[in-house]
Amino acid sequence: MDPVRRIPCNWCQSQSLEDATSCRSCGAPLDVRDLISDSGWCEAPHLQNRTRIYFGNSTCQVEGQIVPVAEMSLAAGDAVFFEHHVLLWKDQTVPLTTKATPGGIKRQLAGMPFIVTIATGPGRIAFSRDATGELVVLPLHPGMELDVRGHAFLLASHHVRYSFVRVKGLCNILFGGQGMYMDRFVTTDRSGLLLLHGFGNVFQRVLKPGESIQVEPGGFLYKDASVTMDVEMLRLSSGFFGVPVMNLVRLTGPGRVGIQSMYHHHETE
Amino acid sequence: MTNPACPWCGAPGDGASLSCRACGAAWASPPNPTDSGWCEVPPIPDMARIEFGRSTCQVEGTFVPVADMRLEAGDGVYFAQQSLLWKEPAVAISRMPLRGAWRRLFAGLPLVMAQAHGPGHAAFSQDAPGEMIAVPLEHGRSLDVRPHAFLVASLAVHYDWFWTGLWFSTRWGGIYYPVGRIMDRFTAGTAPGLLVLHAAGNVFLRHLEDGEALLVKPAALLFKDSSVRMRLHVEQVGQAGLTSFWGSILAPRRCVWLRMTGPGRVAIQSAYQHLEDDGGAVSRSSPSTSQDV
Repeated sequence: MDPVRRIPCNWCQSQSLEDATSCRSCGAPLDVRDLISDSGWCEAPHLQNRTRIYFGNSTCQVEGQIVPVAEMSLAAGDAVFFEHHVLLWKDQTVPLTTKATPGGIKRQLAGMPFIVTIATGPGRIAFSRDATGELVVLPLHPGMELDVRGHAFLLASHHVRYSFVRVKGLCNILFGGQGMYMDRFVTTDRSGLLLLHGFGNVFQRVLKPGESIQVEPGGFLYKDASVTMDVEMLRLSSGFFGVPVMNLVRLTGPGRVGIQSMYHHHETE
Repeated sequence: MTNPACPWCGAPGDGASLSCRACGAAWASPPNPTDSGWCEVPPIPDMARIEFGRSTCQVEGTFVPVADMRLEAGDGVYFAQQSLLWKEPAVAISRMPLRGAWRRLFAGLPLVMAQAHGPGHAAFSQDAPGEMIAVPLEHGRSLDVRPHAFLVASLAVHYDWFWTGLWFSTRWGGIYYPVGRIMDRFTAGTAPGLLVLHAAGNVFLRHLEDGEALLVKPAALLFKDSSVRMRLHVEQVGQAGLTSFWGSILAPRRCVWLRMTGPGRVAIQSAYQHLEDDGGAVSRSSPSTSQDV
């Protein structure tokens, strides 16, 4: 008997059946060429309308192109957590509960949510952010750690552990574009699903050990925990008018880095 | 047999690539004017490459496109400080001197522009949905661009600005500058150069014959050839259909337009910001033409 042949997904590295047209784990089209720029950035896969993504016993269907919606069909026993303002609609039967995250008042002071909402199956529930952009589907394999810009996460499956990392260094806090905290998503022995919303288009690049790239602070979206982050100031002039400095974040590998093309400027700039 | 020239910018085709090497327009999207003569400028295809000097610009993304520049040694670009998205550490950044700093500050324009010098990669984007427009400028050609639409230009393109002199005041006391106090002017010097703009929404282009005139909503103007003359046009709005007292008090009495007169190109964007007062209560204005009912 012939073994079942599988093909890898270039975006999330999951294996899919050879005749599949989209990846089961992240929804990336498998029948179109990956869009990789000369400089090595890979464009986040353009998810086809109504693509299904499988996690646990549940599925996520992505709908829409300009402001995409993630419609979850939760099986009994499965759950997702999210910031409450991204909820678009839900079945009456889907119960909502809340959960406090570590860091409580410190996160509140930093403008970050310290209470997340949990929706538990069975039932349907849908999420979106109110801005033009892309859904970035990141299946987290066991043992992964991902740092994400604050408020960029749309939802995560309940096996993903949600915490935060404090940005180190006053300069990084003031000029790094993240504030004091970044979200950290960790998987231990079970895989999970993480959905982000990037403003505009989203690009990912894998940095080799020691390789670095300088990014506009507001353009940063996510990185592997192994990637280090430092703010650098480029002095452009002697500064009579008070705008002598351009702040850039230097990201140094190894690991993945994700950026968004529509970004926020900070008052410090 | 020679390859056909790009119908958008006139650059010769190479017969191999799917998009024009000079402006990025897809060969499959020739101009298809509407009955009124406007042509929708087609979006630059994802990952299309545009050549300038010895360097290239690759356009990436669809909602908020990114101009990813591969700069050769000796080549460079300049840009408004806030439009840099990322760069390789090897790319050197320096300040570009600008004249009239106080006036630019007064007009709300970027005070500092920066230059990026190759070799290496640097990428630029605006933080708004829209389209990227690549305009190759031949020797001596110049283009006037509305403020904040400029993304990046090669060093072969000379930058300058000029006072628009277009304003109107209202009976409520406000003074408005419908296309800004200052417009950017880009001129190709001795060598051709590349100018990249970011437009909100879709972009439409029209060629005006010598003496041909057109009225355009001021906030929608994206760019024009410097040969196109521009002045305000105030149109009286008829009140004949209003029967109530409050209707006659509150209804707009005037409409402010830009009167564009050829020869040359005019481009507009389909998404634009509304002025706080679109001219309904104009009391005085810069020299303008008018149209009464």
